[in-house]
Amino acid sequence: MIQLRLSMPVAAVASPALVALVALIVPQTIAAPSEVDKTVLAAQQERIAAIKKVHPAIVAVCVQGGQGVGSGVLIDAEGYALTNFHVVQATGPLMQAGLANGVLYDAVVCGIDKVGDVALIKLQPKEKGTPFPFVEMGDSDKVKAGDWSLAMGNPFSLAMDFTPTVTYGIISGVNRYQPPEGKGLLEYTDCIQIETSINPGNSGGPLFNMKGELIGINGRGSFEKRGRVNSGVGYAISINQIKNFLGHLRAGIDADHATLGASVGTASEDAPLTQMVIKQMLDESDAYRRGLKEGDQLIEFAGRPVTSTNQYKNILGIYPKEWRLPLTIRRDNTRHEYLVRLMGNQAAVIEKANQPMGPPQPAPPAPPKGPLPKGGVETTKMYEGRKGYSNWYFNVLERDKLLEAFKKSGDFSGVAGKWTIDGKFAMADRNGPLHAEINPTKDGTIIKLKMNIETTLDPLQQTDIHIQQEPIGSGGLMMAMYHYHRFLTLGTKGFEGLFAHGGYEPFYPPPADGSVPKSLASLRVDCAVIDTKHGSANCKWFFSRKDNTLLGFELYVAKDARETEDRDPCEVYCYDYKDVSGRKLPHRFEVRYRDKRYATLTVSSYNLEK
Amino acid sequence: MDWGSSNHGTALMLTRSTLLCFVVVAATAVTPAFARAADPFVDLAEKSNRKLVKLFGAGGFARLNNYGTGIIISKDGYVLTVASQLLDTSDLVVHLYDGTRLKTKVIATEPELDIALLKIQSEDKLDLDYFDFFEAAKRPPSEPGDWVVAMSNTFEIALRDEPLSVQRGVVSAYTKMAGRRGIFEFPYTGEVYIVDAITNNPGAAGGALLTRKGELIGIIGREIKNSLSETWMNYAIPIQAKTEVKIKEIVKDKNGKDVEQEKTVVVSMPEFVTLGMQGKYKPITKPKVIGGEGGYHGIIFVPDILERTPAYIEDVVPGSPADKAGLRADDLVSFVDGEPIVSIKAFHEYIKKNTRAGIVLRLEVRRGESLETVELTLGAQPSKPKLPTPSKP
Repeated sequence: MIQLRLSMPVAAVASPALVALVALIVPQTIAAPSEVDKTVLAAQQERIAAIKKVHPAIVAVCVQGGQGVGSGVLIDAEGYALTNFHVVQATGPLMQAGLANGVLYDAVVCGIDKVGDVALIKLQPKEKGTPFPFVEMGDSDKVKAGDWSLAMGNPFSLAMDFTPTVTYGIISGVNRYQPPEGKGLLEYTDCIQIETSINPGNSGGPLFNMKGELIGINGRGSFEKRGRVNSGVGYAISINQIKNFLGHLRAGIDADHATLGASVGTASEDAPLTQMVIKQMLDESDAYRRGLKEGDQLIEFAGRPVTSTNQYKNILGIYPKEWRLPLTIRRDNTRHEYLVRLMGNQAAVIEKANQPMGPPQPAPPAPPKGPLPKGGVETTKMYEGRKGYSNWYFNVLERDKLLEAFKKSGDFSGVAGKWTIDGKFAMADRNGPLHAEINPTKDGTIIKLKMNIETTLDPLQQTDIHIQQEPIGSGGLMMAMYHYHRFLTLGTKGFEGLFAHGGYEPFYPPPADGSVPKSLASLRVDCAVIDTKHGSANCKWFFSRKDNTLLGFELYVAKDARETEDRDPCEVYCYDYKDVSGRKLPHRFEVRYRDKRYATLTVSSYNLEK
Repeated sequence: MDWGSSNHGTALMLTRSTLLCFVVVAATAVTPAFARAADPFVDLAEKSNRKLVKLFGAGGFARLNNYGTGIIISKDGYVLTVASQLLDTSDLVVHLYDGTRLKTKVIATEPELDIALLKIQSEDKLDLDYFDFFEAAKRPPSEPGDWVVAMSNTFEIALRDEPLSVQRGVVSAYTKMAGRRGIFEFPYTGEVYIVDAITNNPGAAGGALLTRKGELIGIIGREIKNSLSETWMNYAIPIQAKTEVKIKEIVKDKNGKDVEQEKTVVVSMPEFVTLGMQGKYKPITKPKVIGGEGGYHGIIFVPDILERTPAYIEDVVPGSPADKAGLRADDLVSFVDGEPIVSIKAFHEYIKKNTRAGIVLRLEVRRGESLETVELTLGAQPSKPKLPTPSKP
């Protein structure tokens, strides 16, 4: 079986045309409208309405000059459109995009997801601020085999004025797994299988339900003897997978999928029913540090039952790396639930990405060699390459947007001096008064923390990992306070290593009242993330996507520490925001390290000096 | 960009080709308007999926798939599928809708109908959802224009508890089969449903063709090209299928002498299933299969599943000329009378064209590391197996 992408080979379309003309026999008699069942007419009306609604937002993705390569769909008024990675791989970062109104717009690549075969591009309006038509995203988890669907796009680049082609058919299967094509890229996990006809050129185009909601991005088919045209078996990437990556895509990130850091397989291939067990684990994986063991039976992952290898891959495949997800195992007849951070999987693959992928077929052409092809005047300014990012320009844009929204809770740049914090602390075995100082001096910042015992840290002088992780058992609370102070008072200027938007991630703040949660999954809050690096420490900052509140942060004293047990972060959760001289600050913190609560800090007063 | 530039784009498109010829098969006028087009197929797909199995057997090389589909037709686990090379194994396995993996046995096959009856093996008593085959066989066939739903494990997309793929379409034609597979004419020449959906992909053979009420009407066939148009066929064998087979029979004439006589036998799917379930079905054997011209040797070759399967001997019929000549399992027949034998087919063709009873052949066979020469004295073809007595289902 050969899996093929559905973009148009640019090279192939340059040779002489031969299109066999086709006779379509028109029915001699057409049933009079009065004879037609009302439900049929209603379905027809619904179909017409759905097509009409989405029609203006369908994109024909073209190389510079207007030659069609694939399809896409606009998802907001600013001009962001989804397509396949393998389509933008053919166009390069600067491309053009035609809409159903016949107009060709300049466009630039934003974020890419090579493994998931998704790319986000941004169309530039002809006049600044003119809104684009766009479609609504649906919920692809509600799609069922047997539902009707519409695929739209520009197959064979048929429409010279970019009027989209519509095909109509049913969903043949959901939660399908299609292995990577070639060397680990273009892996379609949890995808939607359709009989709705898709052909070369449909790549990147939308799949809709009958309400006209976007449920997937068409990109692949199963082809064998019949050649590289519709074989009755096409695949669309589910929109719910894309939603998980949308933060990364908008932030211009070269996004990566994940591995658990453990190999999971069936306990026995011949057994009547499958049992999925953990077979091997990487020492450096979070799964290993959280306490999973070889032989554990995997029952649930990210809230879904794990019943087969394909289903396991489906669940894992829809998440970006570094996401933290609940996982339930059975060991000695007892269930255990863990929150596990996923590892990236592209490192091994990326090396090979530059080699030609897939079977020797009329593959999309390689990205143009030499200097970038000239793009539009505007879009050329909107492209900036950087390692790890498909377009750094959009990362800065999204990052600054998030920081601007966060600034509404207060501007701390005027109080970059010494901070003194007083209150109470409570730990498992003791409690008492809390006194903390973060004191930036000419020779560096000194952090003092007194919780019965006084500890101090000079982060730039004391570089030993274990000192930086003090107080013992916190994973680096003083270091976290140092970074928190810098983040609030210095912002981007305080982090010479990295200050980037990190896409969307779930965050799991423990219940504010300290109670035991019903399940770890129930704690989930969807957040936008800022990734920072200063000195040797990395930090992740989690902002609620609802109101941009900073819900907490995770400080890694040494993310790549030689001793893997030192790789876990100090987790700080922020609660009870109150006004402090016109700025909002949390008055309660929960500090956790390695699945345990280290301390709860209750703040009664902040003193912020200039 | 203004319209001028757009037109420029248009002009570019006009100069290029798509290298692809589109052939849209002329569709007959179809008015499925009363079929409640508004209804999705979700319930039908869910219910029917419980009555189908994923089938795994021989193959996995040379474009022969080791996967297929089967239709459950009794609650104790009789399964209908296509009589393909998939079944040439003692290790046939099904995956039920809930992911249960069970061993399966071939009960009967009928190449003339391209059909096989299997039985799922289970220590526990099975109580499966199934299609009522005999009820379905009583219904008149579906007609051109009727909606159909196809369900199969096309491209082996589903494993274990993953549901089969579902497609929909209409019956384009109900017509006589004229197919070929590779260079060979397809044996089944009876009626088939031709469907406008692309149903016949790898692994789809043995899947179910259903009405939009979920009633079984046919068994999805193989990947075969129409021998008239050279296009891939999307067909299913109707469950009422029957076919006429001409066989040669040896009867005694007035003088008590053996004479050959041509006879037409009708074989039908309902009869096949009925007898098969009773353990009584014997396949019809056309003269060319066993009793062709040429002498009798008694060699049983390995399953001939490749275009050029090497002529490895799997077994010899006890007491046959091959047995007497000392041929044995694992011998590879390499030359016959100096002619290289590249495949099982080549051997059969040589025998058919060049031999008769009483002739002595010089075979060179590879046995282990050595090449042996064996003299084989061909005998007369044994008498034909008895035909099944047709009985009403």
